[in-house]
Amino acid sequence: MASIFAIVNTSNVRYHIDGLEDYRPIGAFSFLGRYRVIDFPVSNLSNSNIDRIQVYVSQNPRSLAEHLSYGQHYNINAKRGKLQLLFNQDSRFNPIYNTDVRAYHDNMDIIERMQQDYVVITPGNWVFKADFRALVNQHIESGADVTLLYHRTEKGDTEYRACNVLELNRQKGVNQIKPNDGSKPNCNVFMDTFIMKKETFIDLINEAMKRSSIFGLVDILNQERDVLDIRGIQHKGSYVACIYDVRSYYESNMALLDYSLASKLFTSDWPIYTQTTDSCPVHYFKGAVVKNSMIANGCNIRGTVENSIIGRGVEIGEGAVVKDSLVLGHSVIGKGVHIERQIIDKWAQVLNVKDLVSTSELPGYIRRNDII
Amino acid sequence: MANNEMLAMILAGGRGSRLKDLTNKVAKPAVSFGGKYRIVDFPLSNCANSGINIVGVLTQYEPVLLNSYVAGGRNWGLDTRDGGVFVLPPREKADSNLNVYRGTADAITQNIDFIDQYDPEYVLVLSGDHIYKMNYHQMLKFHRENKADATIAVISVTMREASRFGIMNTDGEGRIVEFEEKPAHPKSTLASMGIYIFNWKELRRLLVADRDNDKSSHDFGKDIIPTMLGEGRKLMAYEFKGYWKDVGTVDSLWQANMDLLDEKSELDLDDNHWRIYTEDATEFPQVIGPDAVVDEAYVTQGCHVEGTIRRSVVFTGADVKTGAQVCDSVLMPDSSVGEGAKVIRCLVANGVKIGKGAVVGSAGSDSITLVAKDVKGVE
Repeated sequence: MASIFAIVNTSNVRYHIDGLEDYRPIGAFSFLGRYRVIDFPVSNLSNSNIDRIQVYVSQNPRSLAEHLSYGQHYNINAKRGKLQLLFNQDSRFNPIYNTDVRAYHDNMDIIERMQQDYVVITPGNWVFKADFRALVNQHIESGADVTLLYHRTEKGDTEYRACNVLELNRQKGVNQIKPNDGSKPNCNVFMDTFIMKKETFIDLINEAMKRSSIFGLVDILNQERDVLDIRGIQHKGSYVACIYDVRSYYESNMALLDYSLASKLFTSDWPIYTQTTDSCPVHYFKGAVVKNSMIANGCNIRGTVENSIIGRGVEIGEGAVVKDSLVLGHSVIGKGVHIERQIIDKWAQVLNVKDLVSTSELPGYIRRNDII
Repeated sequence: MANNEMLAMILAGGRGSRLKDLTNKVAKPAVSFGGKYRIVDFPLSNCANSGINIVGVLTQYEPVLLNSYVAGGRNWGLDTRDGGVFVLPPREKADSNLNVYRGTADAITQNIDFIDQYDPEYVLVLSGDHIYKMNYHQMLKFHRENKADATIAVISVTMREASRFGIMNTDGEGRIVEFEEKPAHPKSTLASMGIYIFNWKELRRLLVADRDNDKSSHDFGKDIIPTMLGEGRKLMAYEFKGYWKDVGTVDSLWQANMDLLDEKSELDLDDNHWRIYTEDATEFPQVIGPDAVVDEAYVTQGCHVEGTIRRSVVFTGADVKTGAQVCDSVLMPDSSVGEGAKVIRCLVANGVKIGKGAVVGSAGSDSITLVAKDVKGVE
């Protein structure tokens, strides 16, 4: 069995979400009311029997540190396995310096000491299901130096706009990794997931730092594509989401209100772990009306909830109407308040403004702790 | 913080045979309650919240699930360096054979060596099958202030109910003068909650004497407490005000679950200062479908509701399909109600499947229907 360690990268200069990301990295965003986005990559790794996991964080580490803790809730052997948070120097004066390569280089001594032969690098802002051990085996069998995971889409012109796409030859060899310019609906979206030998990884980081202080892993791979055998593997799975802006965050949650889709992402043989908060079950009071929604524990629901995802410990008051919204944990939607197409951040309270309806294409956003 | 002043011993060995098929394979303390909990979560969470670090759990009847459930104590945060939850089934020892626990007192007697290791000042004896939230530290304070030899928690019940309980007759200061087990003509309405604080040295002496007494039934209520009263010891009644329920029967278990729907009920599980902890389920959040009706319900993680639920409590992983109607019922973990089926005034046991179109229970029934086996659908 191949020995593998994993890296979950939670900062990527390509992705930024105004508002929500002021408080936490995308990996720490609430997902489906109960999870955080990073639960998906970490559970994938744990379920793949990969229990040495490094999570790289550069900004606002508090909520991630608190949530990941030392990983006991991810079913990782406390002695043999390890979930490690690694930090890097964040260059706020110019974000172009905040590359993944720099983060890895800052922690090179730790990477060099890893005893595993292979590394899987996977992002903290994508939600999908993947057996990484099977992918590593596929990588080994193919004889490739580097394997990149991609998602075949027909919506490249409207979705995945902040992502890279892979240009592949017929043998699935990678000719080029380039930004998705939105010109083609059919494309191979790079899922920011790399598989390679640990030695190859270390060589690439050192080489990248030599060539440019602002090179990322993708840049050095593009330069080395004639020397290295770089191949793509298509991800097989019915649900893939990259969370890179408000719209993709909102839509990736809402898509899972389709139960037939959700039941493919959540299966009993592939549990998604998260940290418990020991909240009690949901109390639906007399007169509550709830349709087509997902509700996390600890909520008290007196009003109407339709096509919405409600986080832990939310209060929905009498006569309130919540439609097409994402209400994050511990917020309050007061008596008689009507909200539609909103993202309500944690601990916010909508009490005094009775109508919050987004008429634009984008959902509205209410900041954490705000009273409206 | 090392604090072995008082350790707790939870009596969890009973079958709870009046719960019928619900306890065929598990002991009563492991029976599910309130959507996501098990009964034993209540005393264990109370211990954690009261600052008790060391908890012994005395198991006997069908202990496999219960032993693995409580072992280590991580679910209640009791897995500290100094503390822990210790599973204590009957065991063979160097100087004695394997003997079953002959009674509640004998269960403690057989574990004198365990308690001695920690050299506690006080021992708290609890029952593992009651639903309540209580601060044992307050009770210890009362015990100390009164310089009592033992303190027994009591709750006021109605005169009619009093004949079902062990009743404490007290003087004006709350000192127990008489104990009557299930009296036909009760003189008081203070019922024992089966919660005792003893001074360990004193209790140890009594237990050693009780061990070799052939006439004793080795029970706290029947033997130890009467002996102490006979010796003129100071036994105090500590009156508890709040929600407390012995969920001994199918009807009372159903009722205790229903109490969670009542906003005025004193059993509040949504209290940040006194959480009830339990095992961590990995199911996804509950899904309420496009045509579902959920009106007056207590529903937890992992449930999938497409039908109608009224005045009901739905446990982890339960499934209510399209057109199904669940009224005044309790659906235990992983049970399912098929399309168009009707479930009225029922308690549906763990994993039970009710087929398409089946009808179980009825609105006018005197008692709650326990559905412990799969019910075939009607085509």
